[in-house]
Amino acid sequence: MANPPASSAETGAPLRLSGGVFTLSILHLESADPRQLAQRITEERQRHPAAADFHRHAPIVLDLSAIPEEAPLALAEILQVLRAADWFPVGLRNAAPRHQALAQEQHLPILRGQERGIAPHSQPEASPVLAPIAQGSLLIDHPIRGGQRSYARGGDLICLAAVNAGAEIMADGNIHVYGPLRGRALAGVNGQEEARIFCANLEAELVSVAGLYRTLETNHPLWGQAAQIYSRDEQLHIIPLNL
Amino acid sequence: MAKIVVVTSGKGGVGKTTTSAAFASGLALRGYRTVVIDFDVGLRNLDLIMGCERRVVYDLVNVIQGEAKLQQALIRDKRCESLYVLPTSQTRDKDALTTEGVTAIMDELRKEFDYIVCDSPAGIESGALMALYHADEAIVVTNPEVSSVRDSDRILGILAARSRRAEQGEEPVKEHLLLTRYSPKRVEGGEMLSLEDVKELLHTPLLGVIPESEVILQASNQGIPAVHMDHSDVAEAYKDMVARFLGEERPLRFVQPVKVGFFKRLFGG
Ligand SMILES: Nc1ncnc2c1ncn2[C@@H]1O[C@H](COP(=O)(O)OP(=O)(O)OP(=O)(O)O)[C@@H](O)[C@H]1O
Ligand SMILES: [Mg+2]
Repeated sequence: MANPPASSAETGAPLRLSGGVFTLSILHLESADPRQLAQRITEERQRHPAAADFHRHAPIVLDLSAIPEEAPLALAEILQVLRAADWFPVGLRNAAPRHQALAQEQHLPILRGQERGIAPHSQPEASPVLAPIAQGSLLIDHPIRGGQRSYARGGDLICLAAVNAGAEIMADGNIHVYGPLRGRALAGVNGQEEARIFCANLEAELVSVAGLYRTLETNHPLWGQAAQIYSRDEQLHIIPLNL
Repeated sequence: MAKIVVVTSGKGGVGKTTTSAAFASGLALRGYRTVVIDFDVGLRNLDLIMGCERRVVYDLVNVIQGEAKLQQALIRDKRCESLYVLPTSQTRDKDALTTEGVTAIMDELRKEFDYIVCDSPAGIESGALMALYHADEAIVVTNPEVSSVRDSDRILGILAARSRRAEQGEEPVKEHLLLTRYSPKRVEGGEMLSLEDVKELLHTPLLGVIPESEVILQASNQGIPAVHMDHSDVAEAYKDMVARFLGEERPLRFVQPVKVGFFKRLFGG
């Protein structure tokens, strides 16, 4: 039997082990230098605070395909940087054999993604199981209530009902809202500057595209009207949506 | 099998306990075996509104902690044969409720009753979550003001995410909106949100509108649930609401300002 002899003396029940498939974010390590990593994280988070907020406390898989085998890897320090940034490193992938040994010391599992080939600098393809971006859009047909959040990872978010005050919707792509938009809407949260927000009735508390944001008051000229919001030249533009 | 109905709101003081008492009494008047449970541990209001405060010996917390049997804590209502009250404790705090304890009580009550009405505490913390967790249907009590509507919206979101039905992927909790303390005159004067405003903001099927009335104060002072206040607007409005809950059609009443007669206007009324 494949079952380990794990039944507890008191309950007699076997230890429950079951399988599961999880979506994890992958961080592609650019260099082996922990200080450089810390600096890059700080920069990114300043640029895209909304996305940063969303990824806070996320489990992270470290992809080492860009790190050559002979490079000295201060893995313990790198893990420290990630944890200090409120991430939970849960594994490594595409690590060279020497780096795999380091992972074992840190009790980090090696996850099977794309295996490192002979050419160490070849661009890795995203593994289908661990892909950070689930393709496609998110369609919502019921009101999003205050306190609720919805995130279309890797696609557009389309809401056919109201987004109520205090609700927050985010998308890596565009946002379309056909009911009144009264909460917060953040498009392009991973930095896609060409993302836009389209809404049939603009009464939003806050709109944002690729990290640029602004709050709205009831005296806005397009308040209560169909509008689109986009970013150009580091500025957010709100214009009528002529349907 | 009993239906579990939570009366909830998020915001405090909007009329949950008043509604729980009136609604449970209304169901019992229709002949349904009904029990109404006070989940507001530490504040004990329901037994006062139901007029049974002097008959409380054991309460919900005693039952959960195994200090009393459920039958010992249930108080039979003096007006309706088929109505029971399960009061709460005034001396314990909210942490006295446990998920397992509440589940055990619900399972036992389900066998004996047609309806279990849960009077939720205000807020969105553990007490309110306990009260809504087992619900099959929810009556969201809202006053015609922005902060109350916001909190109702929030609690509707929580019902959709944190109830037992949501957690187990069953059909969602059936939601009803009850607008209370409605004053058509103040709506007309622009001081309060209108029924249309609230419906538009919440998108939840309307179960009824209970007018603002001083009869509620008299009723609660005497420990009489509002449905028993014969010939009053509020009693009629609560009876309509019970009828709609049971699937009957009733036109909306008490939503237009009362027209002051010519003579009354002339001579002051
Ligand atoms: N229709 C009404 N007309 C006038 N007063 C009302 C009405 N409904 C409730 N009230 C009054 O509002 C106050 C709060 O009512 P109640 O205790 O039922 O609210 P609650 O939501 O249970 O409060 P809590 O959140 O503290 O539990 C009471 O003083 C009550 O008399
Ligand atoms: Mg109350």
